[in-house]
Amino acid sequence: MNLGTHRFSDLGTVIDRVHALFSGWEEFALSGAEVDVQALCRVKLAAHEWLANLVQHATFDARCPEISLQLRIEGDRIDCTIEDNSDGFDLEEQLMQRNGLIEPYPERGMGLLMLNACTDELDYQPVDDNKNRLTFTITVNKDPWLEIPFHT
Amino acid sequence: MNFQIEPCNQETLVVKIEKALDFRNAAEFKTLCQDQVRSGAKNFILDFSDTGILDSTGLGSIFSLYRQVSPLNGQVVFAAVSRPVQVVVQLTRTYKVFRQFPSVDAAREALV
Repeated sequence: MNLGTHRFSDLGTVIDRVHALFSGWEEFALSGAEVDVQALCRVKLAAHEWLANLVQHATFDARCPEISLQLRIEGDRIDCTIEDNSDGFDLEEQLMQRNGLIEPYPERGMGLLMLNACTDELDYQPVDDNKNRLTFTITVNKDPWLEIPFHT
Repeated sequence: MNFQIEPCNQETLVVKIEKALDFRNAAEFKTLCQDQVRSGAKNFILDFSDTGILDSTGLGSIFSLYRQVSPLNGQVVFAAVSRPVQVVVQLTRTYKVFRQFPSVDAAREALV
């Protein structure tokens, strides 16, 4: 099932518009469609964390932001693709730098780690037309977790 | 206004989180809670019944509150946790730190 490609160009409203999309999909799932609502919530969280990262940290220079989101449900997996025309960055390196450095009860720096923890096959690469593409998969009935130290 | 406060007594209050606690309003939440702690509050019931997103920055602001109230023997508890918030609680295993109650009334009974 392909839930379509959705395009956004306003960084000020992209988060609310994506949430509105997910609300519709959650209602669809709760109406009896063969979509796991829990998994859909994890996709929403992952997409939110990525978009929050784009809104707060991405460099678009003089370009008008172009962000697209695509969702595809295949059996027990949900595939998500988010493209953007920012300058991009090395996600793998950022994750490596953060790994193991998480402090007890952290206030910042958890976003990419949460994205990584709740997804399978996470990848962010430059593609044609000066764009970058994030792809990830969420698998139904998994119980992923991010280790946060709860002691001081 | 993203948050509504309902005092239970001098030390305990309910904070209703509306649609979101995320990078856009986490600083506001933090300031609001700091003000309440300065005024004598130490037990916080967070009502997540209508919350569609709790993100990493929002969770960070709750950790900040926890750091403030735990030396005062205060508590931060979650009430009426919505499905999207439960996903974050489960992912980060924060149920180990923040007790959860099925409703605000149940949390109020336990804390007041």
